[in-house]
Amino acid sequence: MSDALPSSFRDPSGFLFREDGVLYRQVNPIYREAYDQLMASGLHRALVDAGLLVAHEEVGPGRAGTGGAYKVLRPEPIPFISYPYEWCFSQLKRAALTTLRVQTTALRHGMTLKDASAYNIQFVGSRPVLIDTLSFEPYREGEPWVAYRQFCQHFLAPLALMARTDVRLGQLLRVHLDGIPLDLAARLLPWRTRLNPALALHIHAHAASQRRFADEAPDASTTRRRMGRSSFEGLLDSLRAATRSLQWQPKGTPWAEYQSMTHYSPEAADQKKAQVGAFLDEARPALVWDLGANVGSYSRVASDRGILTIAFDNDPAAVERSYLEAKRRKETLLLPLVMDLTNPTPGIGWDLRERTSILERGPADLVMALALIHHLVISNNVPFDHLARFLARLGRWLIIEFVPKDDPQTQKLLAWRKDIFAEYSEQAFEEAFRRFYTIRRASVLPDTGRKLYLMERNASGS
Amino acid sequence: MDSIIGLSESLLSILSAARTSHLPAYLDPGSGSFLLQLLVAGILGGLFAVRAFWGRLRGKIARKKDPDQDESDGE
Repeated sequence: MSDALPSSFRDPSGFLFREDGVLYRQVNPIYREAYDQLMASGLHRALVDAGLLVAHEEVGPGRAGTGGAYKVLRPEPIPFISYPYEWCFSQLKRAALTTLRVQTTALRHGMTLKDASAYNIQFVGSRPVLIDTLSFEPYREGEPWVAYRQFCQHFLAPLALMARTDVRLGQLLRVHLDGIPLDLAARLLPWRTRLNPALALHIHAHAASQRRFADEAPDASTTRRRMGRSSFEGLLDSLRAATRSLQWQPKGTPWAEYQSMTHYSPEAADQKKAQVGAFLDEARPALVWDLGANVGSYSRVASDRGILTIAFDNDPAAVERSYLEAKRRKETLLLPLVMDLTNPTPGIGWDLRERTSILERGPADLVMALALIHHLVISNNVPFDHLARFLARLGRWLIIEFVPKDDPQTQKLLAWRKDIFAEYSEQAFEEAFRRFYTIRRASVLPDTGRKLYLMERNASGS
Repeated sequence: MDSIIGLSESLLSILSAARTSHLPAYLDPGSGSFLLQLLVAGILGGLFAVRAFWGRLRGKIARKKDPDQDESDGE
């Protein structure tokens, strides 16, 4: 039984489908010439060898999703699909530079990218890779880059906004699925960005050109122009320089500083890590989701054990730090992502299925929720049983830390508000979670009064 | 309205003159984005030539590695 993926419908060159749990990509006859050039020119080999393009294997048209396939490919699986609105600044920047590097390599082999969608890039650990094998077409000298607008909307505009206005504006990508409209980016960027030649051209003049030519025909001298090879390379060079020049330092947000503010002593933190490790060894998960992972100290207890670990946090600065660390260590099993648990990624786009919700990308084998519960229950007024039900939907196993009411961190949250949480107690917590889970282990963390639990979902608890 | 038709006709003429492949461009390049590239092509080409010249000059002084080699890793 084969099912076309709901995200794969725009490009007539082919589409993705899943059969018996395996992902395939059908190449339609219309893409024959381009596919043959991709393979024969050495471009495919060069990109795969450089780790820039997902590798694939041809499995023969007999497995076609629909009739009349030219080829059917089985791409190497991507461990976890993530979206640009879940990436931190450096993830988006690196995805942008990877796209440009792919384009430069393509040009050397007589081809060009016909799209530059951020959704065509996925992360394998800390490394971005292009997943759309059908993104190439033959390069025809004289033509401008057909994907220039898309590159600016998907990459340059959000990066400029994150670096020059506010890093949280990266979330605009969740509203604008085809990238941030350039007129909006131009309005939100500080005036001084007009003095930066690359941003002046690719964002401000670009937005003005879109406005001007939206309903006005260009004069004949413009339409007679051609864009030579060196101009094309100049455009890519300029986009690369513009992207590289955008910098953002992760500091100042409360969470990125949290690690240094926490009252865990190094010894207590080590004990907590050892306990988390022991629970992981008992549950033996293949996929861990660490919720509220901060800079990923405890996520790495899992990923360093060879477990694929997705480390979610709603603070872009904490995720940035975690990603930079993953990049430095060339980690392949840790993927830090930005996500607000009180408003997790929903299914969006066409038919609400084009980009999937976080739940559809699960379940995890094990969910970690360390030093998180007081933020959800007290700061966000989520009752214990609602929290237990939600976590039980995410995965079979749970490592959760209970933070008592007299904990300094909990007291901080209650400092300026009325304490309406009479029910917030260890007993009420355990009672609520027992409706969905069986408590397998519980261990008091020394010197803190906090308690770490290993729970397994009840057969009827999902 | 006439100007919109005129615009799409002139864009189509640019596209069809350049495209000898029968592979359709499924992505809308955007008229303003397309024309901006044509308008600044000369400047971009000139800048690229200058940068390439300096790159070669620097390359002669110090043996330089492939500039694309680690650009996505080097950030």
